[in-house]
Amino acid sequence: MQRDPSSLDKLLENPRVWRGHRQVHAAAGLASGYEALDRHLPGGGWPRNSLTEILVEHYGIGELRLLMPALAALSNEDKGADCNEPGWIAWVSPPFQPYPPALQQWGIDLSRMLIVRPKDSSEMLWSAEQALSSGTCAAVLLWADKLDDQASRRLQLAAEKGNSWAIAFRPPAARSQPSAAALRIELLASSEGTRVSILKSRGGRPAVLHDVL
Amino acid sequence: MAAAKRHHRSTRELIDQRSLALEEVKLEPRTPAVPALKRLWFCIHLPQLPLEASGPDEGARVVVEDRQGIHRVLLACPKAEAAGIMPGQSANAALALLPSLSVEPRNEIAEQQALENLACWLEQFTSVVTFAGPDVLLVEIAGSLRLYGGLLNLRQAITSGLRQQGFTASPAIAPTPLAATWLAKGGHRACIREPANITAALRNLSLSCLDWPATIGESLAGMGIRTVGDCLRLPREGFARRFGPQRLIELDRALGRLPDPRTSWRSPERFCADYEMTEEQSDRELLLAICHELLQSHERFLLARQLGTQAIRFSFFHLRSSATLLNLGCAEAERQSGRWFDLLRLQFEKLLLPEPVIAVRLEGGRTQALRAESGRLRFRGRTVGRGIRFSIAQLAERLVARVGRQSVAGVTTVAEYRPQLAWRPRSLLEGWSADIVSAAGGKLQRPLWMLPEPARLPVDDGYPLHQGRLRILEGPERLETGWWDDDSIARDYYTAINPRGARLWVFRNRNRGADWYLHGFFG
Repeated sequence: MQRDPSSLDKLLENPRVWRGHRQVHAAAGLASGYEALDRHLPGGGWPRNSLTEILVEHYGIGELRLLMPALAALSNEDKGADCNEPGWIAWVSPPFQPYPPALQQWGIDLSRMLIVRPKDSSEMLWSAEQALSSGTCAAVLLWADKLDDQASRRLQLAAEKGNSWAIAFRPPAARSQPSAAALRIELLASSEGTRVSILKSRGGRPAVLHDVL
Repeated sequence: MAAAKRHHRSTRELIDQRSLALEEVKLEPRTPAVPALKRLWFCIHLPQLPLEASGPDEGARVVVEDRQGIHRVLLACPKAEAAGIMPGQSANAALALLPSLSVEPRNEIAEQQALENLACWLEQFTSVVTFAGPDVLLVEIAGSLRLYGGLLNLRQAITSGLRQQGFTASPAIAPTPLAATWLAKGGHRACIREPANITAALRNLSLSCLDWPATIGESLAGMGIRTVGDCLRLPREGFARRFGPQRLIELDRALGRLPDPRTSWRSPERFCADYEMTEEQSDRELLLAICHELLQSHERFLLARQLGTQAIRFSFFHLRSSATLLNLGCAEAERQSGRWFDLLRLQFEKLLLPEPVIAVRLEGGRTQALRAESGRLRFRGRTVGRGIRFSIAQLAERLVARVGRQSVAGVTTVAEYRPQLAWRPRSLLEGWSADIVSAAGGKLQRPLWMLPEPARLPVDDGYPLHQGRLRILEGPERLETGWWDDDSIARDYYTAINPRGARLWVFRNRNRGADWYLHGFFG
């Protein structure tokens, strides 16, 4: 039986196929705005339509700064005449108040911000899933102390369904837990600065970057 | 004898000379014939309304009315009629014929309610709906003919709708409201489109269809006048003198010689409907199904008016405790029952019902005109084929329904130098005004995280502490403002870094001691 010779290429394009070294055709990522980081991410940026986990020990070490250029680009994308266009950014149970003047300084369109403060972790997960799968939110940030394997899978699926980017902030203890995330990075902060450690990257390799932030 | 004969003939001649009929008119009507604007009235007479309004058909039933102290059968259902029960019998006689008969007193309030519901329903066909008696509805349909593809289709739509709702109707169509009413009451399924044909159609109609007082009917019958046609041959003045000018006016109006203005009925702007159960229920699935039914009638109500509403309220009534309320809100004016039902289900899961429910009420909120929006063509790359399951408004509604109104918000900035006042949350369920101003303060970097209240930092040897001694990176930035209200500040803000790499936004009050406060993080 004659097989279509292009089927192998198609198979290799699948980001789930790991080829030992840099993939030729990784799905184009979302430019992070930090060149050093983009160089180490498989599609040249944040993985779209999937879950990214960021492990942080405490806040204020640049965890938001790392995302801001990409979020600013998303919130200004696809801008239509009304507010019902995709491009919203949802914040689910943020630990403090995201400060609008600072967001504006980073170029984020404040008219497309949605802040949800659910009461418990099941509501948090539900809200994040709803926002991800709605198709209106370009990115959903959530802060979760506990997120089991199943929950991360649900988030991953919702992100695929709604063409959205899920970003989960988790404590460093989550490092040992399995996760369905396409990308897991850890931020290691010291008085000298913050290092970005890529723990898992679908289609890429782990790395520790010193000069990102 | 001969004299009597002659006298008779002369009366006859008189009648012939000065008759009322249009064709043989000798006296000019007081005003010229009006119907310049062509009208067509659809009359719905509901002869079985007392029976149909009182409840569903189960077994043999009659509706009785109190006449001079005796309960007499007003209407009997077909099963009861088959047993020989006739209208006018006493209730006891009917029970003797059929002991299993259910006897219900006439409920005029329910009849009125049923008629109003029908009027609401009819508003989808036309904007002119009027009541012409306790069991008669009139709708003007000339303006709707084209929309419904002709008279036959429209008549079909109305009559089949009535049948589906369980009403036996006797319809008639005529260019004047009175002619339509009389024909409908006479049980003639007449359909008259031209004003010129009214006289011919009414000619054979019995005077008993005219709702005239019984005394007039009797004295006319005594004169041998039993139909409208007979009546039309009478002289105008004599007729008016004997039976009152009102009767003459009615005849003129029915024939279209005089205008017959009708006020069009307007249904109430707010929806309110009850569902009463025969016994207490605690089955949540059943309650949901009832709510769904109420939502559907709510949708029909709004559809007929081209309206939507942003808020609705369910009340679940209990026998022994006060009603449980459930409020639902929507970001945009909405009428689709499906969308409301989705929201209801989210909240109903969490709703605690202290007792079984005996009745459910749905009240619609303030209505507003629905904004019609045209769809847009999408060409740009990423949006093509991109499935939007629900808009941001729907997402916000769902989140509000589950998480609570206080917990879902957007943000906006305020032109204000005081950091804690430079922003405020904005509701996503009301108004979409994007009144975002660029932040005051300009170039100086602001922290991405802000604490709800500044937190005082402990001090060690003059250095503020937060997971260790802080090192100042930038500053000070002096903010001294707000003297016009009671919330004035005079602060020096610094950017500091702690030994664990966190960048902090800290400040010191200029006038009040040397305490350090943490106000935010550069996340």
